[in-house]
Amino acid sequence: MEPGLESGGERRNGASWSCPALLSGPWGQASEASPAGLLRASHLAMGTQFTAYLESSAEAQACFQSIFEEIDRVERTFSRFRPASEISRINRLAGEGPMVTDPEVFQLLAAAQEVSRKTGGAFDITVGRLTRAWGFAEHEPHIPTAQALKEAQEASGWRHLELDPAWRTVEFLRPGMELDLGAIAKGYAVDCALGVLRAAGVGGLIDAGSSSIAATDGEFAGDCPVSIASPANAAQPLCEVSLGGRALSTSGVREQSFTRDGRIYGHLIDPLARGVDAGAPERQVVQVTVLAPNSTLADALSTAMFLMGYEKGSAALAGFPACSALWVYPRGEEMECLAHDWPGENSLS
Amino acid sequence: MDTKAELMDRRDFIGLAAAGLGALSLGLDGCRSPHKIAPSDWVHVGVIGVGSRAQHMMRMLLRVPGVRISGLCDIYEPRITEGRGVTGEQTAAYGDYRKMLEARDIDAVMVSTPLGLHAEHTIAALESGRPVYGEKSMGRTLEDCNRIREAARRTGKMLQVGLQYAYAPWYRDALQGIREGKIGQVTQINSYWHRNNNWRRPVPQGGDAKLERLLNWRLYREQSGGLFAELGSHQINFANTIFGAMPESVMASGGIDYWKDGREIEDNVHAIARYPGGQTLQASYITTNRLEGAQERVYGTGGSIELTHTEATYYEEPWYPNSAIPPEMTIQHKLITGPTYSAEQPYHGKGKTPVKGAASDADLMACQEFVDCIRNHRRPLADENAGWSQAVTVALCNQALQEGRKITLAEFLGKAASA
Repeated sequence: MEPGLESGGERRNGASWSCPALLSGPWGQASEASPAGLLRASHLAMGTQFTAYLESSAEAQACFQSIFEEIDRVERTFSRFRPASEISRINRLAGEGPMVTDPEVFQLLAAAQEVSRKTGGAFDITVGRLTRAWGFAEHEPHIPTAQALKEAQEASGWRHLELDPAWRTVEFLRPGMELDLGAIAKGYAVDCALGVLRAAGVGGLIDAGSSSIAATDGEFAGDCPVSIASPANAAQPLCEVSLGGRALSTSGVREQSFTRDGRIYGHLIDPLARGVDAGAPERQVVQVTVLAPNSTLADALSTAMFLMGYEKGSAALAGFPACSALWVYPRGEEMECLAHDWPGENSLS
Repeated sequence: MDTKAELMDRRDFIGLAAAGLGALSLGLDGCRSPHKIAPSDWVHVGVIGVGSRAQHMMRMLLRVPGVRISGLCDIYEPRITEGRGVTGEQTAAYGDYRKMLEARDIDAVMVSTPLGLHAEHTIAALESGRPVYGEKSMGRTLEDCNRIREAARRTGKMLQVGLQYAYAPWYRDALQGIREGKIGQVTQINSYWHRNNNWRRPVPQGGDAKLERLLNWRLYREQSGGLFAELGSHQINFANTIFGAMPESVMASGGIDYWKDGREIEDNVHAIARYPGGQTLQASYITTNRLEGAQERVYGTGGSIELTHTEATYYEEPWYPNSAIPPEMTIQHKLITGPTYSAEQPYHGKGKTPVKGAASDADLMACQEFVDCIRNHRRPLADENAGWSQAVTVALCNQALQEGRKITLAEFLGKAASA
């Protein structure tokens, strides 16, 4: 075995898996069927654990290294917590007038704007001040003061982010705006990592903290079953879905939330809500899983669908070809699943 | 070649560089919008060698207003596809760098090919009449470095070497502090770049030995300067700058001791370089443990500075009887000591971090400098002289490593001159 790798992967025990979605399927069986098995390695980045499962090959070790270097590169570019990142540079300077950024950053910002437009602003990368006001990213969640909320909301809004493709410039039209790509960058990192795998011709699957999952083409993508964990009991999968060449993303607030006066406040801040409602949507969705053609879109849409809820979200999804979603609502002691174009949705309980 | 003359050149350069530190305008965000840049001031860059490092630097260049990547040259076709992914357009592609240099829409050239090819590509680009950004090290051998420097001088074209930390604010702050005597007399620098990986890039399935050598050129002697070049260049350059000279002698050791996978270059290397002022650089580059990471520790008689890729941290030297702390610094430190201090224990006291990497990406700053130098017809800080001194020091380290003995700079330069 090569240093630093585990062979065969493992079948994850849902009970010990704390994230919304969990993998099951070929991993355990593959190691039994094939002595060579799959190789697995993990890497901490972007505040989560990325895990790659690769076909065993002579190039696997080098691939792991390249994958994780690529994920680190994405983090260095898009993290608002790294002062030298391009997003931090934009946050510092774009309020002073249009500034040039590189095509990769511009394209992701433009893609995010497109999702904002199609979701009526439910997805919004200009919520940097809002998320900071709520303190989730700093691991000090709290209810902001009314004044702090007012100022943060005035400095948010996707329509105030001006992107000029002719010059590749970014500009904030309101003072104090800050970008936060936390709801799209992890998915983008998964897509970039898959690009590394495809270039090397190695099959594999990338899992970002189990909330964003995508696989390369071929056998990994075609018949790769993923179990969606129940928000009430991670050991009890809601259902199993095949990736079928698509990427999957799950959003929920169970792990990043706090309760005040009986209300649950979560880290997915609603940019369209006002006051403290922004941190505690009334819709009571507890989890949303999205299947989309790529991980970037799946990541963004899972946040948007969470904030929009089933009715508005399902309508908005009509504008996103080949995208499916599964909402989970608590109904007393039970969980109710509502689906949009979900594979095998008739079998959902 | 006249050895003394070479050394004098270098010292002269260092003096100039030091004088220019304060004048260099960094954080060149003043003009961020391309709207106001005249068409004649747009810089169209052609890139020779479009690997991962080049792709990163292309992204940096494209963040500078008024820059366009107008040519991509690589003999490995997938790199062209990747490069176009970076530029976001169907950038003109070339398989032969000479063809790209014939193109009329290229104003400047970035050379990011394997080290052993730097001389061929950099010299050709300079002779085509264009300014060049050449990745570090400047050249693999002393002869390569001499030829590149001669070409830069002969053509009069600007050459900026990819020693980007020369522009990093925290490095510059540290350098300034050292020159102002903030840590007393610097006697030693310990440089580490410790990784824990095999340094190998994936070769697409079905790839042959030729492709392996193309993609993993760093592992093979023909093109690579090994860990001294690929990891040590920035730190060696910094030591040369602090000490104001190149080392007068180097002894080195290393081997292929863990990653015995067919590579030709060492997986761990270590050097001790002695400088004319009686200072020492200890440099260590390994691939089997990352505890130390990439850092430089600059030791002075009155304090220390620890430099990483993001910040510089100052530590005062705790006062102790009969220490080398300069008297004036003892007063300045107000006789700092304490009951828990033990002179022979590692010092783990809290340092001061006056200048963080905050708003700075060293690569972006190097690209801003390159473009600014082109537009304003000025010399970059990391010019052919700085590049020559750093790259020749690396070559000296490699020579000492191969011969397994101490080699003086004079001997190295003289031997090469007579060869």
